[in-house]
Amino acid sequence: MAVTAAQPVPIRLTGIGKSFEHGVKGRIHAVRDVNVAVVPGELLTLLGPSGCGKTTTLRMIAGFEQPTEGEIHIGEKNVTGLRANERNIGFVFQNYAIFPHLSVFENVGYGLRVQQKPEDEIKRAVADVLDLVGLAGYAQQHPHQLSGGEQQRVALARAIVFRPRILLFDEPLSNLDAKLRVQMRGEILQLQKRLGITTVYVTHDQEEAMAISDRIAVMDRGSIVQIASAEDLYDRPSNEFVARFIGRTNLFDGKMRDTTNGRIVVEALGQTIVANSAPDGILPGDTVRVMIRPERIALTVQSTTGVGAKVLSRTFLGEKTEYHVSVGDQLVQATLYGQGKQSAFAAGDSVQIIFPADGVHLMKP
Amino acid sequence: MSVTSQSPSNAAYRDPFFAGIILLLWVLLALFVLYPLACLFGRAFVDGGTISLQPLLDVLNNPHHRRAFGNSLILALAVGVGGTLLGFLFAFTAVRGGLSRRVIGFIDTATLLPLISPPFTISVAILFSFGARGLITYDLLGIKGFAIYGFMSTAAAEMITYFPIAYLTLRPILASIDPNIENAAFSMGASRARVFRTMTLPLSMPGIANAFLLLFACSLADFATPLILAGNDFPVLPTEAFLQITGQFDLRGGALLSILLLVPAAVVFFLQRYWLQGRSFVTVTGKAGSRSSVEILTPAMRFTLFALCGAVSIVVIYFYALLLFSSLVVAFGANHTFTFKHYHVIFTEGLPAIRDTLIIAAIGMPLGGIYGVVVGYLVARKQFWGRQSLELASMINYALPGTIVGIAYLLAFNDKPMELTGTAAIIIACYIFRYSPTGIRATIALLHQVDKSLEEASESLGAKSFTTFRRITLPLIMPAFFTGLGVVFIRSMTAISATIFLISINWTLVTVRILENMTELSLGPAAAFSVLVVVIVYVVLFLIGQMLARFRALEGGRVESILGG
Repeated sequence: MAVTAAQPVPIRLTGIGKSFEHGVKGRIHAVRDVNVAVVPGELLTLLGPSGCGKTTTLRMIAGFEQPTEGEIHIGEKNVTGLRANERNIGFVFQNYAIFPHLSVFENVGYGLRVQQKPEDEIKRAVADVLDLVGLAGYAQQHPHQLSGGEQQRVALARAIVFRPRILLFDEPLSNLDAKLRVQMRGEILQLQKRLGITTVYVTHDQEEAMAISDRIAVMDRGSIVQIASAEDLYDRPSNEFVARFIGRTNLFDGKMRDTTNGRIVVEALGQTIVANSAPDGILPGDTVRVMIRPERIALTVQSTTGVGAKVLSRTFLGEKTEYHVSVGDQLVQATLYGQGKQSAFAAGDSVQIIFPADGVHLMKP
Repeated sequence: MSVTSQSPSNAAYRDPFFAGIILLLWVLLALFVLYPLACLFGRAFVDGGTISLQPLLDVLNNPHHRRAFGNSLILALAVGVGGTLLGFLFAFTAVRGGLSRRVIGFIDTATLLPLISPPFTISVAILFSFGARGLITYDLLGIKGFAIYGFMSTAAAEMITYFPIAYLTLRPILASIDPNIENAAFSMGASRARVFRTMTLPLSMPGIANAFLLLFACSLADFATPLILAGNDFPVLPTEAFLQITGQFDLRGGALLSILLLVPAAVVFFLQRYWLQGRSFVTVTGKAGSRSSVEILTPAMRFTLFALCGAVSIVVIYFYALLLFSSLVVAFGANHTFTFKHYHVIFTEGLPAIRDTLIIAAIGMPLGGIYGVVVGYLVARKQFWGRQSLELASMINYALPGTIVGIAYLLAFNDKPMELTGTAAIIIACYIFRYSPTGIRATIALLHQVDKSLEEASESLGAKSFTTFRRITLPLIMPAFFTGLGVVFIRSMTAISATIFLISINWTLVTVRILENMTELSLGPAAAFSVLVVVIVYVVLFLIGQMLARFRALEGGRVESILGG
């Protein structure tokens, strides 16, 4: 392998903030007090709705924008205040930013040429990296001859060819169609693991984030809400925003009743629901938010432990069937997998809902 | 006329309405574009029934004329290079300088003034500043008998007059370069100078070439500035042709000199049309980045750019302030007592010229606007035989230097069967066919952005083609219509190079009166006339801008597009 990364380095954001004066709205905090430690070789995703500050954070790591507070370290070096061309980064832009007047070869070789590498070395490195991204033989093509996916690969090749210390992606797949998006994200992940290069990736697509990341930092209104693996975010979100943003979910108000023998008993939906753990500092009598994912719910006709409910609607989606059921005046979503037509429930049926204890997650209100 | 179509539902030939309009347009173009040109060539090359190149060779053998030809090219080259540099400086500063809206507004005002002024304005201001009794040369520096006339002053005046065209050409090009392109190069370790050299400059190259060609053509055709500033030692072709006809009554000599001018003008036209077309890189990458570049310039560079633009803007505004001042004093340079007498003169003696100019502009404006929209619509949306020739023919008078058009009209409409000399109609026709192509281009550009499915939807709902045009297409292309109106009006108020040959005792123009005042050395009324024209054009431009704002939903309707052509 000719294209290899140097020793992977950590990225550390300490108390990063970005605020500016707005003529009408006063001081706007685009990003506030962001603390992240990206471990060497990790792919960390900044995930959040538009306007949450994820791209601004990424651009501050790149040096395209300067933070108004805090420090950024890449490796052991404090890069705060350094310009983008002094940080040795690879950046893949949302719209690729392919230089339209240069050939694929010249696009990819630009960074090496800036470093005044000898011509034969540039030729070899570009050929290797084009091979790596599956564009062997495209060197003399011009950007307008390329498809969206090919432009994406050129952008990727251009970002990694000069062996940057870190790799940054700003929503790189949002301009591709759905099928290509899935394919490209697999390739990006494979490449990132192969090069072992520390990477920060920005997206608003939760599925993309879950598919690609070692860890995900969920952002909301300029702050990081939770940093965790995809599994932890999904099963154990730290608050309602994360629970709602990632996946579909059922949320109810509940009241803590009892915590005996590691079994937590909560009163919700007029019934008793059991969970395996509770957030710290919650005492009997406190109110909590009860979360359960639709696919963790079971529906049966007969059960002694279940909660009585009525089926409102049924949507058959092939591999799964989605139900809307009502428990009292509360709407509950349930997703059942691999259910044949025979065992299906119909709108109007009376059913029992079962909430398995390991699927119930409690959060502070 | 045989007219064919690719799509049966859109067949212009089946539609008597469109077939009739196309026929009418061809008749008009034949009459007001092709016929005058034929007359010009006929007069130049046909001698006693035989075609002869001898007269042309005689003109070329005349060393004075050869010098005029060479001077015209040198002047156009200098103005093209200098004006493009200035325009690029302004455009780059406006797009990447991170300036506040107010500062950009100031720069825009300074660059707008030369575009809406009558042709002699800058020349007069230069005379006032640097002439024998000039404010700067005589009063400030105490130089006696400073010789301002010649190449340097002419080139400087034309650069200041025409660089706003380069600015308006380059600004959208620079603005459409995705800042992420520059950021990408920057992130790969390139220095600012390198980013500029390898990204910004090559990406704006088509715009730079276009700006250069536009300025080259403007300078080549400029008749007014050299007439005032070039002096006797620096003859150029347009003024020589004019003097040949008005001074020596030699129509053929004038025609031949103007044909010499045709050669470089045609080269420029075809370079623009066939070489530059489609040479823009700007649309290659998909969605444009939403963020502006903050990296390409340091604060010190930004300040330098701002200071340079500010200095040039102040020079321009100083010239106009000087003009205003000289229109309000008894005699500039001799007696600086405040007076309104020059305005009194132009509103009494000068009133017929103002009235005539406004009548001609008021008639030409709607006709030119409609003509532009109709031709643009047919070219962009209909398939018919001769479509491209029609478009080309409609562009000819626009591309030709005014001197050629003026002499051609003079030759064509002097006698029966088309005796129009001495009427307002000849001036109006000249303006319509010379200045509507901006409206034609605006219409075509706008229609390329409007999806054809809108019109197809109308047709599918049973609307006839005229109904579709009136109810769907016309409202969509209203911004182009107003652009066309604006250009015809501005040029009707400020043009001189073609119409100087077409005025008569019955119909005269403000610009011609300014020239007469200048040759009689009554500079006060000339300044007052110029101020009046600037004010009228500014007011009308403002009103049209207000109308355009109502159609803001569609791009292409910005005020600067009025002036870009």
